[in-house]
Amino acid sequence: MLPVEMTVNGGRRRGVVEPRRTLADYLREDCALTGTHLGCEHGVCGACTVFLDGEAVRSCLLFAVQADGSEVTTIEGLGGADGALSPVQDAFREEHGLQCGFCTPGFVVSVTALLAENSAPSETEVREALSGNLCRCTGYQGIVRAVQRAAEESR
Amino acid sequence: MKPAPFEYHAPDTIDEVCALLAEYGDEAKVLAGGQSLVPMLALRLTRFEHLVDVNRVGELAGVARENGTLVVRAGTRQRVMERDASIEAAVPLLARATPLIGHFQIRNRGTVGGSLAHADPASEYPAVAVALGAEMELAGRNGARRRVGADDFFVGTWTTAAEPDELLVAARFPVWPAPSGFAIEEVARRHGDFALAGVACAVTSGRAGIALFGVGSMPVRALAAEQALVAGASATDVAHAAVAELEPPTDVHASASTRLRIARHLVERAVTRAQEDLSAAG
Amino acid sequence: MSLSTAGRFVGQSVKRREDPRLLTGHGRYVDDIVIPGMLHCTFVRSDAARGRIVRVDVDAARALDGVIAVLTADDLNPHAGTMQPTMLLTTPGAPLRPLAATDVRFVGEPIVLVVAESRYLAEDAAELVEIEIESEPAVIDVERALDADVPIVHPELGTNLGAEMAFPIAPELEALLQGENVVKRTFRQQRHTPVPMETRGVVVEYEPAAGELHAWMSTQNPHEAKHAMARVTGVPAHLVRVEGHDVGGGFGQKFFTPREELVVALAARRLGRTLKWIEDRRENLIASNHARADVAHCTFAHDADGRLTGSYIDHIEDAGSFPIGATGGAGALVGLLFTGPYKCPVASLRTRAVWTNTCGRGAYRGPWMFETVAREQMVDAAARAIGIDPLEWRRRNVVPTAELPYTLPTGLPLDMVSPSETLEQAVEIIGYDAFRVEQRRAFAEEGRLLGVGLGLYVEPSTGMMDPMGTETAVVRVNPTGQVTVALGTGSHGQGIETTMAQVVAEELGIDYDDVTIVQGDSSVTAYGRGTGGSGTAVIAGNSCRNACAIVRTKAIEIAAHLMEAAPDDLEIVDAQIAVRGTPTRSVAWAEVARIAHLETARLPDGMEVGLEATATFKAPAFSWSNACHACTVEVDRATGVVTILRYVVSEDCGVMINPMIVEGQVAGGVVQGIGGTLYEHFIYDDDGNPLTTTFMDYLLPTTTEVPTIEYGHVETPAPTPGGHKGMGEGGAIGSPPAIFNAVADALALVGATIDHTPLSPDVIFAALG
Repeated sequence: MLPVEMTVNGGRRRGVVEPRRTLADYLREDCALTGTHLGCEHGVCGACTVFLDGEAVRSCLLFAVQADGSEVTTIEGLGGADGALSPVQDAFREEHGLQCGFCTPGFVVSVTALLAENSAPSETEVREALSGNLCRCTGYQGIVRAVQRAAEESR
Repeated sequence: MKPAPFEYHAPDTIDEVCALLAEYGDEAKVLAGGQSLVPMLALRLTRFEHLVDVNRVGELAGVARENGTLVVRAGTRQRVMERDASIEAAVPLLARATPLIGHFQIRNRGTVGGSLAHADPASEYPAVAVALGAEMELAGRNGARRRVGADDFFVGTWTTAAEPDELLVAARFPVWPAPSGFAIEEVARRHGDFALAGVACAVTSGRAGIALFGVGSMPVRALAAEQALVAGASATDVAHAAVAELEPPTDVHASASTRLRIARHLVERAVTRAQEDLSAAG
Repeated sequence: MSLSTAGRFVGQSVKRREDPRLLTGHGRYVDDIVIPGMLHCTFVRSDAARGRIVRVDVDAARALDGVIAVLTADDLNPHAGTMQPTMLLTTPGAPLRPLAATDVRFVGEPIVLVVAESRYLAEDAAELVEIEIESEPAVIDVERALDADVPIVHPELGTNLGAEMAFPIAPELEALLQGENVVKRTFRQQRHTPVPMETRGVVVEYEPAAGELHAWMSTQNPHEAKHAMARVTGVPAHLVRVEGHDVGGGFGQKFFTPREELVVALAARRLGRTLKWIEDRRENLIASNHARADVAHCTFAHDADGRLTGSYIDHIEDAGSFPIGATGGAGALVGLLFTGPYKCPVASLRTRAVWTNTCGRGAYRGPWMFETVAREQMVDAAARAIGIDPLEWRRRNVVPTAELPYTLPTGLPLDMVSPSETLEQAVEIIGYDAFRVEQRRAFAEEGRLLGVGLGLYVEPSTGMMDPMGTETAVVRVNPTGQVTVALGTGSHGQGIETTMAQVVAEELGIDYDDVTIVQGDSSVTAYGRGTGGSGTAVIAGNSCRNACAIVRTKAIEIAAHLMEAAPDDLEIVDAQIAVRGTPTRSVAWAEVARIAHLETARLPDGMEVGLEATATFKAPAFSWSNACHACTVEVDRATGVVTILRYVVSEDCGVMINPMIVEGQVAGGVVQGIGGTLYEHFIYDDDGNPLTTTFMDYLLPTTTEVPTIEYGHVETPAPTPGGHKGMGEGGAIGSPPAIFNAVADALALVGATIDHTPLSPDVIFAALG
């Protein structure tokens, strides 16, 4: 068992973990941040995407010990503390970018990362950037529209 | 789907990494970006008693220009290859290959050295390294260093010439002389998937580099095709030469004959585009 | 789009009630449930498709620290009641069992259940379980499974034929099928699987002192799950509670209660401990129900004008080893609906469900959709064979709206549909004629292979099987006037909390924000059919309407009494109960609610206290909806890659409750169809070993494989109140043949043909030669 300390959604978190404990399981179970979802646990579906030191990564492919000393932001850390939706979250609601909602946290993190780097992505850029997140409900239609809407509203 | 237990090591220096690798031998595995290794661990398709995490080794990160060589230290994230304009300027194939690797979240974490050392026969960087004539710099115990040409580095599926106690510390990509032309082409079932077939192509006056991926047990250098291209053969003839000796695998995604057919077309396309790129550069 | 019937809420694209919690990571899925003392389960499964279990050694696993129990068939099976997953479909089927005891019948069949303090430890222990299986030859090829020399999947049953339905072939049909202008084709659809993004899972708590069993489960159908758990554990149904909070997709896979959930419930009952089992993705791909996997031999007879005169389909569905739900139930509809929206004087059919040593078949969005796949692909093949454009074939044969009602040759009554209108709307939107011109030009000048394809269908949503066509709503007005509605549904992405609130707000004349829907919990809702089969809008919607009517009547009676007015003169507008035409004479809805509960002396003499109602709705046997899909593709001759250029859906689901949600459902179905036609293939080798067991090998479409979908709407209200029709499944029904036909159309330019999916580069190259 190893000690870990990281900043999660702005707050310090200390814990003791087995080395094999994934960052995803650490966030979900040790930090009770269950918005990070596990859809495949082998790095394909993207539902577990979180920010690690500002970059969107798969939390199922990292061990919690590797995040020691890092800053992690999960879906719970993107909106306002009062429950207010972030611009990306709001655009997803407006454009029906979610149905069952299971893949949604990963998409919202990926989209937030995309728009932070490219505030006016073309449709092709949007589609390429999101091709690492699987959704089985929406057919991606509302998701692509939501990205375009969030981009427009941020301008 | 949870990994089996392992002991975790997070050394700070290359020497410490090599010492750990020497100490634990086959029971140890280097953990770099983890984007290929961790899924294998989670699926329990492989297991190691010791994981040696190299992410905290500061001297493994970064890119440097040394005269005619771009030295990419092994721990450099793949994302750097597509974000840093100086990479596109020095070694365009590296920059152009990178968006074809997985997805941006994977590239945020995945490292250049990890991809090279993993030596998946369908991945892009090994083929780029072979096509350009890159050298792999390996560190061993007691500060030992040696360089191995890409042609000799890749020896089989997921297998390289590195000894069990050696660590890939850098890939040294030669900066081809101006004007040169480059192209990388691949076909995958979906965007971001491993290629059914792909080819990296470089061409300059009197010299060409062509390496295919996804069509063998390692990146395949197409020497006869390179010679044909230098000799002025048509793209079609170069393509025929490139695939003449190939024995691609058959799997659930494509048969050997499908891969061969796609590969031939891609070589033709890549050669044409590299020549166009050369003309534009010249 | 004109929505003649749009109301204040019904017909509006109201933003979803569910979204804020789901968007901020505050949804509550089954893996988010944590109970003190909860233990974690994993299954050890067969790695042989068929064979005798020689030895199961669990000693090492039991000895591992943190392991609580390692249960085999000997430990559990003798205590199990029936494993029947549903009361809805009672046809005899495979001999279900909890854990495999003496033999195994597919790769992935559960043999041992490990219970440990964490999932990590459970998986460590699972690796220590030693199982020896003497493998025997397996039945993998469904088309050979009825041959005499093939082993029997279920020896108890003595045959691999699970179900069969055959109509006689009338002499006039026989003559037509032997005559001129006959086209025969065989089509095959590959095995694929629903793949909800949330895998299955369950948490089961058994409280021995009270004798109560409480489960949290990812389910489309909490009441069915409750009864299934009662049957298998022996806990009386009234002491079983099943809750599904947020459910991360289902598409049919979570409609019936599968084997693993029942085994975990049984184990919780036996151990008296709280158990959690979350299926991992590999298990989901290998052992959660599979779908599709059909073969059909089709024959069309035509007259000299290209009109369909007779039809025959001989269909085989691969039922796998332990299908969940009804064996052969989908196949019956494949046969009955094969002629679809086309006039056909005489038809016959045979359909067979056949056991194989593979993962069992189950529901997947339009389980019978192969009728549309086979028919629409047949239409294009027939049109090419007799030398007319596939659109022209459809125009000549589609049932004109003026000729409705029309009785299908199999006897089903078709009415209140608009296949002809949706056909014309779809071809108009996609620009069919202009595309034909461009297609010829691109081929002639550039050698490019472009194609256009159509998929036209009618869907008999809802109602056919008791009790699939009924639902009960409880509409309860709180003393504050806000309304809580309880439904036995299991929403898993459809937005039922939104759409049903729209219906109730509309019916009661109150604000949408004052209505909340409670569902997914068997203890606080009346028995319901669950969410599936495109049933919610019609069935739950009208049970809500019926309950609202009772509540409304009572509220108006109270208001009339308070205002000394005649009930007939009152209406509810914007939460005010007012004299029609005199809005100043009114009493607030909230005031009526308060009085109904808290000032009961002011109620009319003899009136029951409170303001709530329970009502049911029984759907008619058919609420036909229909749609036409149209798409254009390019086939790359050099790479074998198919690219979808444009995609259009013209649909008629009657009156839409929420157009945004309707289009979302259509889109989701279409993209599942894109996956099924181009990418998704669950592959077994000849010995029954699965080869596509991760998301690296089982390929779901992503943003880059999917075009923007364009929609057209035609509104033919259903005869039921509200005028809605079922539409959740349709997107997945019309899309596969539309895409297939477009590719076939492109390949026809060079004389190449295809007859099976998925349309991978291998298949395209095989066709191109």
